[in-house]
Amino acid sequence: MFTFLLKRLVQATIVMLVISLVAFAVKDNLGDPLRELTGQSVSEAERQAMRTEMGLNDPFVVQYKRFLINAVQGDFGTSYTFNRPALEVILDRLVATLELVFAATLIIICFSIPLGIYCAINPKKWFSKLIMAVSSIGISIPVFLTAILLMYVFSIELGWLPAYGRGDTANWLGWESGFFTLDGLSHLILPAFALASIMLPLFIRLVRSEMIEQLSSEYVKFAYAKGLPQRRVWYVHALKNTLLPLLTVGGVQIGTMVAYTILTEKVFQWPGTGFLFLDSIQRTDTPVITAYVIVVGLIFVITNTIVDLLYGLINPTVNLTAKG
Amino acid sequence: MKYGLTKIAGALLAAGFALNAQAADITIAYASDPISMDIHEQLSGGMMQFSHMSFDPLVRWTQDLQFESRLAEKWERIDPLTMRFHLRKGVKFHSGNDFTAKDIAWTLDRLKSSTDYKGLFEVFGSAKIVDDYTIDLVTTKPYPLLLPMATYIFAMDSEFYTGVDENNKDKAAVIKFGNTFASGHLSGTGPFVVKSREQGIKWEFERFDGYWDKQSPGNVDKLTLVAIKEDATRVAALLSGDVDMISPVAPNDHQRVKDAKNLELVTLPGTRIITFQMNQKSNPALQDVRVRQAIVHAINNKGIAKKIMKDFATVASQQSPAGYLGHVPELEVRYDLKRAKALMKEAGYEKGFKLSMIAPSDRYINDAKIAQAAASMLAKIGIKVDLKTMPKAQYWPEFDKCAADMLMIGWHADTEDSANFTEFLTMTRDEKTGMGQYNCGYYSNPAVDKLVNDANVETDTEKRAAMLKQVETTLYNEAAFVPLHWQNLSWGANKKLDMKPVINVMEFPYLGDLVVAE
Amino acid sequence: MSQSKHMSLLEVQHLQIEYPSRHGVMVAVKDLSLSVEAGEIVGIVGESGAGKSTIGNAVIDLLSPPGVIANGEVLLNGEKISGLTREQMRTVRGSKIGFIFQDPMTSLNTLFTIEQQMVETVLANEKVTYEEAYQRSIDMLNAVGIPKPELRIKQYPHQFSGGMRQRVVIAIALICNPQLIIADEPTTALDVSIQDQILQLIKTLCKERQVGCMLVTHDMGVVSSVTDKVAVMYRGELVEMGTTSQVLGAPEHEYTKSLISAVPRSDIKLVRFPMVNYIEAAEELHQLDIANHWLGQSQDQKAYQGPLLKVENVNLRFTTKDSIFASRREYVQASNNVSFEIVEGETFGLVGESGSGKSTIARAIAGLYAPQSGKITFEGIDLTALKNEQARRPIRRQMQMVFQNPYTSMNPRMKVADIIAEPIRFHKLAENNQQVDQIVADLLDHVGLGRKAGIKYPHEFSGGQRQRISIARALATRPRFLICDEPTSALDVSVQAQILNLLKDLQDELNLTMLFISHDLPVIRQMCDRVGVMRHGSLVEVGESEQIFTSPQDEYSKSLISLMPSFENLSKAHLQIASS
Repeated sequence: MFTFLLKRLVQATIVMLVISLVAFAVKDNLGDPLRELTGQSVSEAERQAMRTEMGLNDPFVVQYKRFLINAVQGDFGTSYTFNRPALEVILDRLVATLELVFAATLIIICFSIPLGIYCAINPKKWFSKLIMAVSSIGISIPVFLTAILLMYVFSIELGWLPAYGRGDTANWLGWESGFFTLDGLSHLILPAFALASIMLPLFIRLVRSEMIEQLSSEYVKFAYAKGLPQRRVWYVHALKNTLLPLLTVGGVQIGTMVAYTILTEKVFQWPGTGFLFLDSIQRTDTPVITAYVIVVGLIFVITNTIVDLLYGLINPTVNLTAKG
Repeated sequence: MKYGLTKIAGALLAAGFALNAQAADITIAYASDPISMDIHEQLSGGMMQFSHMSFDPLVRWTQDLQFESRLAEKWERIDPLTMRFHLRKGVKFHSGNDFTAKDIAWTLDRLKSSTDYKGLFEVFGSAKIVDDYTIDLVTTKPYPLLLPMATYIFAMDSEFYTGVDENNKDKAAVIKFGNTFASGHLSGTGPFVVKSREQGIKWEFERFDGYWDKQSPGNVDKLTLVAIKEDATRVAALLSGDVDMISPVAPNDHQRVKDAKNLELVTLPGTRIITFQMNQKSNPALQDVRVRQAIVHAINNKGIAKKIMKDFATVASQQSPAGYLGHVPELEVRYDLKRAKALMKEAGYEKGFKLSMIAPSDRYINDAKIAQAAASMLAKIGIKVDLKTMPKAQYWPEFDKCAADMLMIGWHADTEDSANFTEFLTMTRDEKTGMGQYNCGYYSNPAVDKLVNDANVETDTEKRAAMLKQVETTLYNEAAFVPLHWQNLSWGANKKLDMKPVINVMEFPYLGDLVVAE
Repeated sequence: MSQSKHMSLLEVQHLQIEYPSRHGVMVAVKDLSLSVEAGEIVGIVGESGAGKSTIGNAVIDLLSPPGVIANGEVLLNGEKISGLTREQMRTVRGSKIGFIFQDPMTSLNTLFTIEQQMVETVLANEKVTYEEAYQRSIDMLNAVGIPKPELRIKQYPHQFSGGMRQRVVIAIALICNPQLIIADEPTTALDVSIQDQILQLIKTLCKERQVGCMLVTHDMGVVSSVTDKVAVMYRGELVEMGTTSQVLGAPEHEYTKSLISAVPRSDIKLVRFPMVNYIEAAEELHQLDIANHWLGQSQDQKAYQGPLLKVENVNLRFTTKDSIFASRREYVQASNNVSFEIVEGETFGLVGESGSGKSTIARAIAGLYAPQSGKITFEGIDLTALKNEQARRPIRRQMQMVFQNPYTSMNPRMKVADIIAEPIRFHKLAENNQQVDQIVADLLDHVGLGRKAGIKYPHEFSGGQRQRISIARALATRPRFLICDEPTSALDVSVQAQILNLLKDLQDELNLTMLFISHDLPVIRQMCDRVGVMRHGSLVEVGESEQIFTSPQDEYSKSLISLMPSFENLSKAHLQIASS
């Protein structure tokens, strides 16, 4: 276990170094932050002076070294638009993004498992065929289209749900979230469904095919032969084995979902990190961009590690020590 | 609460009392929110909108571009270099401090130290305080734009902003992307105080109890300003009733807003000119005035305004929009393909030539589409255009290098004055004076330079107008640039908001005066 | 049977099982009738495709779709159990009929503890409390011989060895006191020593508890050692049924005779297997004039003085647990100081249970693994000293391998002729393409596939035919030394007999030297001149095979040999017994 974590840490450090280098290299091609920061009539000489003062004219290696030394101390620079440490800005917004991802995950779990199982055990029923047809269409619909459609139907036409933003939040056990207020929940529904729509079809198919595979396996046959009722065979034996591989795929996908939020947040003006990232690109707020890439990279690494740990806990045949 | 108020109001009305208006609670969505609470940190549209909400200038523009008294009750020119302002009495800052002449002097000094404003206020010397309510603004040379510049002087509470904050830093400091006292604290004289602020998400304002302007009909009590970047979402928020007013409304959505029975769409011709510059340095063909004229004649800017901008633009033949001093109504829009071909032939380019063109893809409304249209129009006179469009973040570094033969640029005059266009876009490039800073056409005409320089010290409005008109005419005749259009401005709002009286071509509505019907 | 008043425990009457498909109906079992009495073990024997497993599945209504019982019925204690509803059938499964599957690893759910899987079985079938069910489980584990059941019941299946796991499966099958158990190849996935224990366990439990047993197997050894009666299936039909001694001792049907003669005998060594062409008739072997043929003209057939292959003190270990600390690493010693010699023209056998390291040695000889220490010399050349592929190439040509599963070692997109021609072209053994084609055709003829087989793809062949292809490919480099790693363990007995015959013939003709690896003692006895017995990576005994089989010296060899299924009642008539 210790070795496993230690190895993961070393791997993560290397990954993060590479990510930081890429993030840092990319930022120079995103444009000139001064252009966004200053009014149009500010003279070029004035801008040049500011650039020098900000250290933007130093050679790449010097800038990167300075960045690394600061980054290790948790300082990713100060956001040009927020006048606050970039990391702090991102962590502030991360709460909203995680809330969205969490809600979308709940939706995915609540829909994909029952629907996938239904399709697996009733492959010939028309409803299964409908689910499969819709899900194969669903995979190819881009998220912004889904988002705009949802908004059109539920906000503009029906007027049931708000079209944008996050709504009121309340604090519960130190967690500031829209989950705890009616207003916050009503704001959360549309973006969460839009975000879930990317992965839901995929997960339904995954659950279905995994369940079908489990149902044809030997232990299921043995379970029947033991005289177990069908319900128990399906929902205890086959289901647990279905969910295990789902955990690995799903866990990693949920990590990726943090990045997928960009489009959803953009459309719904959801004040999360994805939206912040887009905004920062437009404003050439390079400290925030760099910090975002690194934070997202870190989330990837962390979710992967957690998924591996969980997998090891749930699957008795995996020994983390040996795997390490 | 609301219900209760309505009931009381109803009762009062029934009793024969004429109540001016009830307090209203509205939400407004813009594409973005101000990046700071320090109005001197950046000169931008969003910052100006905010300035007019929480501060008051000495004077402000009216809808027909005249000046209206605000903190200055009266003003008079004392000599060519001096203008005397008589200040309003009984004005209080949000902090409770009294507003006096020292606050104007302090504000002016601060403007002169701000990166974005110091250029504009370079010509100003220190203000002379005559007494608490009289102040003389002095310029180093005769300055015709003193009043337009006075619209930028929003009184800041000198007492509030003096001293050091908890971090032992000067409260007056104005630093870009610095966490200064002023970027997070505010005391102005304006109609709204900032209640809370989540940057990039929403600002909550409340009407300032002690607001001096008791004549203002405005009845907005609580105002929430939200940023909704996505055009479609902003409109959706308006259509669904989540917000009461939005700006801008994307051209594609105009019809939907018009069709909604409780909504109103208002558009105004704007003052931001969109042009192409023709780089005489990188492409020698463009040094020939006949070629430049041919290009101007070949580009159907009327068609662009109609088809691409969906009439959400005013087609242009010159830099200055109507209402500006230098606007010459007689200058007609040139589009004549035959003449363009003839001019090409005359110049010896019957077979055409190649040129490169760059344009941003996310800076102006439909910018990339306009550039594509222009490129195909030029193909008709044999000019083969190699067009590259890119996001603004990449565009400006390219533009700074003048890295193409034709480059798109839009310009809004900060001074709301014709001379400003020429100073930045068409005067001879001069590193020392900073003139022609954005002149990638490398157009250079000493006569134009002289006219503008003279106009900038001419305080006689009529004489000055003649000079500026002369400039526009010369640029027109020499085809110094390709004029396309002025982008229009748009607002969409619930009909209960009486929007028309408070909006203007500068795009900073005077929300303090907004009346909301119940 | 209906004339008798006596009802058997299980009666299967005129059972017809069909698999309908778009291409027509496949009849898996044709008009089958048989019965099982209480306390009786009935073996159902046959080769792949005989439909023997289908019968067991049909009895408890677990046919894999689209299989259906098209005709006939199944009676348990006189009550009809075919055509019941799902819930009615459920009450039969587990409580009246227990089932044991082939592979204990896959028949237990890896994510649940043994306790969960046992207790749920009791609770599903009987109205008892959890505590009672738990106690029953403990008792049952005791009964099947699992030590410390209180401890082990908390464990997961992967913490059990294969044999222990099958004991758990048996415990689950018997925990609700069924009257009948159906055991579908219960020992096929197990090692010899464990196979015997499990069979004896089933036998004892059946006798003690008066439980009837239907034992489905392909292994005649299993049949002869435990069953009372045996039913022989061939392509869906019951060809012969009777008491075990009767069927094995004096078979009546041609197929039964052929099947029995194909079983490698553990008691005597035969020259060849007789009468093995019933199932898969091979093309007539074309007699080649080996002496003048390309195959016989290997340029390096110089007689070498001394042993052709020498393995000296070879040590090889694999890491099972890696750690950054050397002290925490764990290894398995796959080969522990192994030494033996093989002289030209002989067949040397390596025998041992799974994990004994026999395949590891073969791979080390072939150069697939590098030993940590020790020396392997071939014709006096130290193979472990050869550093690069270039130096190893001539050795590679002279040494070829035949693997257990030929299918995975063939490129499925290549035609058979190209698969065989590949090594000839690679080692540039022929002068031109015409000659290559000729050699390939002759090889295909020679291994009994016929030259027309060359234009087909591997998937068009059965397992036995594929093994012929891989032998042809191995021969294509004119090797002197052939390593056969479990070449027939995936095959049916009759096919196995054919392949073993082929290998024997080829060896005689080409003077091949062979290293023959198998877990199957009778096969080793039939094939090898000398034998090495391996256990836990060590070679415990080496000797002449007849001597090892008749009077083993080492304790382990002794127990291994004593556990071989015996065929005492087989007839020895008409057999060509090899002289030792």
